[in-house]
Amino acid sequence: MITVNTKEHPWHKGMTVRTVIQEKGYTFTHLVVRVNGSPLHESLYDSFEIHDGDEVLVLHLMAGG
Amino acid sequence: MDAACYARNFDAINNAEQLVLADKTVFVAGCGGLGGYVVEYLGRLGVGRLVVADPDLFEVSNLNRQLLSSHMNLGKPKVLAAKQRVQAINPLVRVDIHQVKITNANALSLISDTDVVVDALDNIPSRLVLQEACKEAGMPLVHGAIAGWCGQVCVVMPGQDLLDKIYPDAQVWQGDEAQSGSLSFSAGLVAALQAAEVVKLLLGKGAVRPTLVLIDLLRNEIIDIAI
Repeated sequence: MITVNTKEHPWHKGMTVRTVIQEKGYTFTHLVVRVNGSPLHESLYDSFEIHDGDEVLVLHLMAGG
Repeated sequence: MDAACYARNFDAINNAEQLVLADKTVFVAGCGGLGGYVVEYLGRLGVGRLVVADPDLFEVSNLNRQLLSSHMNLGKPKVLAAKQRVQAINPLVRVDIHQVKITNANALSLISDTDVVVDALDNIPSRLVLQEACKEAGMPLVHGAIAGWCGQVCVVMPGQDLLDKIYPDAQVWQGDEAQSGSLSFSAGLVAALQAAEVVKLLLGKGAVRPTLVLIDLLRNEIIDIAI
């Protein structure tokens, strides 16, 4: 099990940041991702492996006023 | 003070607190979707002085969500509409306006002599400039932003630099609002949360939000995240 934005989410082998984004249905073009508190660049979403117990934070990048 | 107009504030805000609010000043950066509502809420609440900055004039595309916009004031300064609106509702409130963009050169000067700063801006670089000024001045910053059905609010205490975590790339100008637009209820909701945080800060009352609240009205999600 991992946590995504404070909610539990099932973990599976081979899970990447991209997988998490797809499984959670985050549709925004621009996202801010942190794994266990560390920021992750978009270029690593497909390759960065998520491990069981990881804490993933996915923020929609929004700046409208 | 003519307290009659504040009768329905009591006792959620008591008489002594109302007097405190009358002696406070809030700087509102941005007078569009968020800022218009923030000005409305704080003016009706009776915050004594509002300082409002926005360089823009109203455009047709503002009409879907910006409270202060109308067909009558297209092409007119947003800050002027803010002043006129508050004067019409609550003449006890003084509104000082600056039709300027927030920059490194003017931010510190603009927020001087105010008690709380509201980030109701529409772009990332200006938000970061405002955070830096607040840090230097030792002032709390109440941040809000929207995109489509979503919004976020947090209180940035001096030195926390929370916006650096929300906006890690200072070169990016906009977020997803460029694609998803900005909806009226998202603006009103986020502005209401911002106004509530402002009042708590001004009064030293209740619990100032320690987290980033993320709102997704389409997915029915409201979550608090420690960042």
